[in-house]
Amino acid sequence: MTGETVQNITKTFKYSFPTCTNEEIHFNLEVPVDIPHAGSTRELVQRVINMFHVPVYLEEELNEKLAQFVAEETKNFHNERDRKLLNQLKNSEINVEGIIKNWEKLFKDNVMEFAEQKGTSDEEVFAAAYHKLVHSPALETILQVENSYAKTVMNTLKSRDEDIEKLTQKQTEEMEEKVRMLNISSTEEEINELAAQQFEQQALVAGRWGSQLDALRQTQRAQHRAWLMDTLQEYQSTSALNTPSNSPLATFSPESVSLPAPVAAGGARLEESFTIHLGSQLKQTHNIRIVAMDLLDLCAVEQVDNPAESSRRLQTALSLYSGELAGCVVLGEAPPRRPAPPTTRLLAAADLSTEHHFPSMDAQLRDISERLLEPVERRNSQRLQADGAGGAGSRGRSRRDLQTGDIFITKHSNLAEVHVVFHLMVDDSSLRSGDITSRHPAILGLRNILKAACSNDITSLAIPLLLRHEMSEEMTAAWCVRRAELVLKCVKGFMLEAAGWGGADLRTLTAALPANIAPALFAPLAALTPNIFRVSNPVKFKAPNKTDSL
Amino acid sequence: MYQDNEDDCKFAACTYFAKNHPGEMCGSNGLPLTPSSITILGRAQRLLTIEHPNLCTYLDVIRGKHERIIVVAEVIGKSLKECTSKFSFQEIVNIAKQVAISMKFLHDQNITHRTLSDDNILIDNEGRVKLFNYGLYYMTDGGSEVSFPLGLPRYLSPETILSGGGPAADVWSYGIILLELSIGKLWNNLKPGPILRRILTLVHANNPAERIAREHDCFEQYKQVPENLRNIIEKCLKIYPSERATFSELVEDLTKIVSKELVEVKTPRGLMGCKLQYLYHLWQLAGGDIQAELKKNYLIKNSPPILSMPIAILLDGCTIGGKTGALFDRRLAKYSLDLLKSRLSHVPPQDFYPLMHERRKEYDAVALPKIIRERDTEYQFYRLLWFHRLLHGYPYTAPYIRAEAEIDIPPLVRGDVWAALLGVVGDIEDQYERIDKETPTPTDRQIDVDIPRCHQYCWLLCGSAGHKTLKRLLKAWLLTNPQYVYWQGLDSLTAPFLYLNFCNEARAFACLSAFVPKFLHKFFLKDNSAVIKEYLAKFWQMTAFHEPELATHLHEINFVPELFAIPWFLTMFSHVFPLHKIVHLWDALLVEGPALPLFMGVGILRQLRDTLLSSGFNECILLFSDLPEIDIGECVKESIEMCRSSPRSVSYRRFTNEAVVKDPMDIVEIPMEVLFTEISPRINLSDFFSLICQDKCCVIDIRSNLLYEKSCIDGSINVPYSGVHLGQHELRALGLHPQKVIQEAIKQKKMVVVASAEDETAQLFSDYLVKCCVPRVCILHGGISALLTHVPSLFTVPPKRNGHK
Repeated sequence: MTGETVQNITKTFKYSFPTCTNEEIHFNLEVPVDIPHAGSTRELVQRVINMFHVPVYLEEELNEKLAQFVAEETKNFHNERDRKLLNQLKNSEINVEGIIKNWEKLFKDNVMEFAEQKGTSDEEVFAAAYHKLVHSPALETILQVENSYAKTVMNTLKSRDEDIEKLTQKQTEEMEEKVRMLNISSTEEEINELAAQQFEQQALVAGRWGSQLDALRQTQRAQHRAWLMDTLQEYQSTSALNTPSNSPLATFSPESVSLPAPVAAGGARLEESFTIHLGSQLKQTHNIRIVAMDLLDLCAVEQVDNPAESSRRLQTALSLYSGELAGCVVLGEAPPRRPAPPTTRLLAAADLSTEHHFPSMDAQLRDISERLLEPVERRNSQRLQADGAGGAGSRGRSRRDLQTGDIFITKHSNLAEVHVVFHLMVDDSSLRSGDITSRHPAILGLRNILKAACSNDITSLAIPLLLRHEMSEEMTAAWCVRRAELVLKCVKGFMLEAAGWGGADLRTLTAALPANIAPALFAPLAALTPNIFRVSNPVKFKAPNKTDSL
Repeated sequence: MYQDNEDDCKFAACTYFAKNHPGEMCGSNGLPLTPSSITILGRAQRLLTIEHPNLCTYLDVIRGKHERIIVVAEVIGKSLKECTSKFSFQEIVNIAKQVAISMKFLHDQNITHRTLSDDNILIDNEGRVKLFNYGLYYMTDGGSEVSFPLGLPRYLSPETILSGGGPAADVWSYGIILLELSIGKLWNNLKPGPILRRILTLVHANNPAERIAREHDCFEQYKQVPENLRNIIEKCLKIYPSERATFSELVEDLTKIVSKELVEVKTPRGLMGCKLQYLYHLWQLAGGDIQAELKKNYLIKNSPPILSMPIAILLDGCTIGGKTGALFDRRLAKYSLDLLKSRLSHVPPQDFYPLMHERRKEYDAVALPKIIRERDTEYQFYRLLWFHRLLHGYPYTAPYIRAEAEIDIPPLVRGDVWAALLGVVGDIEDQYERIDKETPTPTDRQIDVDIPRCHQYCWLLCGSAGHKTLKRLLKAWLLTNPQYVYWQGLDSLTAPFLYLNFCNEARAFACLSAFVPKFLHKFFLKDNSAVIKEYLAKFWQMTAFHEPELATHLHEINFVPELFAIPWFLTMFSHVFPLHKIVHLWDALLVEGPALPLFMGVGILRQLRDTLLSSGFNECILLFSDLPEIDIGECVKESIEMCRSSPRSVSYRRFTNEAVVKDPMDIVEIPMEVLFTEISPRINLSDFFSLICQDKCCVIDIRSNLLYEKSCIDGSINVPYSGVHLGQHELRALGLHPQKVIQEAIKQKKMVVVASAEDETAQLFSDYLVKCCVPRVCILHGGISALLTHVPSLFTVPPKRNGHK
């Protein structure tokens, strides 16, 4: 029924009236009328009177007649259609079961009364609990606990790296020794055997550490959840809680919660912010930040104890289950199941601490690649068909892979400043070239990202302005300006478009330039913003009594 | 969940999500597709205007975030579903009649109900029946703008199940409801599938009503139903829609059966006697929150967005994973007016019935800015009651309305008040009907291009309903004004009227037709250059008159009004500001009259004064390419002040539709070429005379001292033109006495009138004064000689000065 389209038909309205002079002779009027008629019949009458110079004394009659005609015909139109349908049903010419199944599904999937009752999912319960606690005095404790967990993981990672390094060193020495003694006291077979042995050892150690880390993460996750739920209960029962009494911090060594030594942030980065207005009459305000930085800096939490870092974390934790999410766009060529840089760097960043809320990034990537298999294959084969024989357009990517402009999305709770990462599939070679247009798939991908941000309450988003993470030699000053201008202009269009979708406003857009960009190049790129966007004028404070000046 | 006392709940809200457009968001015209919620919002506006005793009035349709639609409507009593006791047959017939009456009304309006069911027929203790949310099918365009199916399975007619169904399907649902009322709930505890299957098998039955009764083992019970009611049910439950009775037939039949008339209920007095729309508006102002109650009843669920993040988006926009469509929940959230009642509890009963000729009390709130007054519950309460009363008496109360509108206009009745201010009277519907808005014309193309760019941030104007109506209005106006052509900007000019009269096209049109001759006479001529040039020249003179320093600066950098002010005046600012600012601007405009826009232009410049004074030509161009935020309240206040303090003749324009001035005392018209060269405006003799009488002007006589000493205007000072160094822009250069007099005049905000024997010297000298930053400089039209002819009494012989220079 939802797909119902009313097929209009045209009926001819006939009307005749005698001429003034001769009663015998009639004017005949024939007007085609669309049934069902969308407009007012009285207006149609006026048009007819004007067009055919019908005497005005017939106006009333014509109004009545036409209204009647349209009413009658509309009724007939519906009845006739329905009669046919019912007759088909009577004669069993209709697939009744299909229709009923369809209705059943519609009711079951869309209407509360007929849907399967399902309770709130564990995820939602935990989300609600966490959100509540994070906005309570327990916040600080929670962050401390999370920090200590992260620290444990990092320490373990460190020991692992040391262990492996030690082993590697030992093995190298052994091997060198063996090689030196080649043909003296050892044979080639022996060396090969040693190499195999060493490899096995390496694998063994890595595996041991891996499972240890996994176990650690799982324990932490379980502990964290259990503790949070307990705390919530306590919070609700006492409704006055300053520091959770059952904090697992008690089990940690005191030095891990000792006040961290302030660490100076790295060298000041190039950055400029603008407040802009969009729209011609009603203006919406957005912030645009042009920053030279590695987008992955937004993700990695390097030093847990750094106060600046922990305030970043605090913000992220507070807004995790709110309607003000932060996202960033990472470009990549690799599909989710075979991650390559920069995705691997993101993976490493995500692994630095336990993911307490969502599946680990690894698991997310695996899940994504499994669930994407079928729709992507279907889409790609459709595309191939549409392209006809010239299937070279897929540029060597397999039929089952994502194409340029496609996006997959991971969500995180343990990154520094972002909750959501959009992985935009790009084709590096085409982005290297200077002349891409606004119809380039990467740009269209950006549009989809902005749209997704709008409909999923992501209010701050970071994008690579040049659509490249690193500087390379073909990126001359002219190249950069041209690219930045294209991207900013397109983004402007998309933001204007997004205003009509009725979702969340994008409050802050961070446009990241490669971290190693030259300061001399940064300035002209930052200067593009006030040219492309309307930068808001600073509000000037005026003394209230100063009106007439002379 | 609900209030115990059912009378307390006056309205209720339900909510649902509009459909999302899958994939690509562009339509065939290359523009983005209109979101479904916008389409619904546009269609639903018509429902807001429907009033009928047996229909719950729609109060509001709100578009929430992420395509949510919230519908607010009146409620009474409880629904048939909630009534547990069985109705007597007399009661059933009574209900049947009222429902049939309301359904007949809807069908006459071409509205199909489709979702008629036991939970949206409401009945109160007196047996009064109202249909609730009868417009769901209509506002969702036959259900095509939502993803959930409309209606409940057991009330669907066979043809509806087969994807057909016209208005006659409502008759079937009606029949089923009557049958349910007579023999009890049908197909209880069955799932949708089996119910639909049973309905479809009814097509093989001769008498579906009987068959249903048999299926439910209620045949005996069915036979007990009085024959006349049974007849009605059977007339409704015919398989073929063509055989079913229509609601007008049913109303006739039922009128014969129903013996008991409903008891007249007196309309309550006091707050509850006010219009429901007003109550709803005031309730919101008092802090009523529709969404809060919906949240409390879990009708708006806040699942954290991160949990429903999609996992991938393919290039074509196909989203994988993520949000599953929210379920359509049929429940309602009901609202009580307690909040408003307690807010207004101290209002004495007589205040609900204000008397027109009684001196009314002043409210403290009047001193506050308009935007704050518009949010003040009590203030709005008094204003609404008062305006309601005045509008009731229109057109006889027109002067009162004007006087009140000068203070402010309550937003809720702004459309009505504007129409009154513009003097819209008569059968406007009939006049509008007679205009052909369909036949294509050559301007259609341009209109089609402009409309999707006109105030599209406004959710009403950006939908297809808004686009269609705006086009009809423009076409109608062009057709009725053949002397005019379509200038870009006419769309913006029409937008505020459409916005305020969205469901009253005829009134929007009448307002536009009255507005243009009053404020934009001849602006839409094919060759409007003379009109616009004159307007801009006058605007420039007014700027020099009130902001001499700014005007001098802009003259110097050659930043002329042609560069920025044409859209201001051609659209009366409706192209430059958003609607919520335009309404305040026009509130003042409609009251003050056609001279005000000139001063509004000056008011805007005044707000940007500091920036402009420190800017060169290029910066100015940039600044005006996108006007910065303007404080409209302040701008309106100052422009009214400027307008009222300037003599009328100063802002005289020839291209108005006012009567031609004949009296030589009143004439200020000068040839256009002269006008373009003059920086200061001219003042006519009668304005000058009244200024003199009120001692509100300082006259500078620039004739030679010989002529001056012979005879001069009483109280004037003499600054012989021949002695002035025009290059020296300092008042001091005029000499000590003139400097003192002029500075005194500036301090007392007097007009500075330049009187001379020849126009040329007067012109040059007034320019000089403006450059010296003297405000309110004007030239006496006709000079000394004209004054001497017409008002010789003003002249005197100056006292001999005792030679101290």
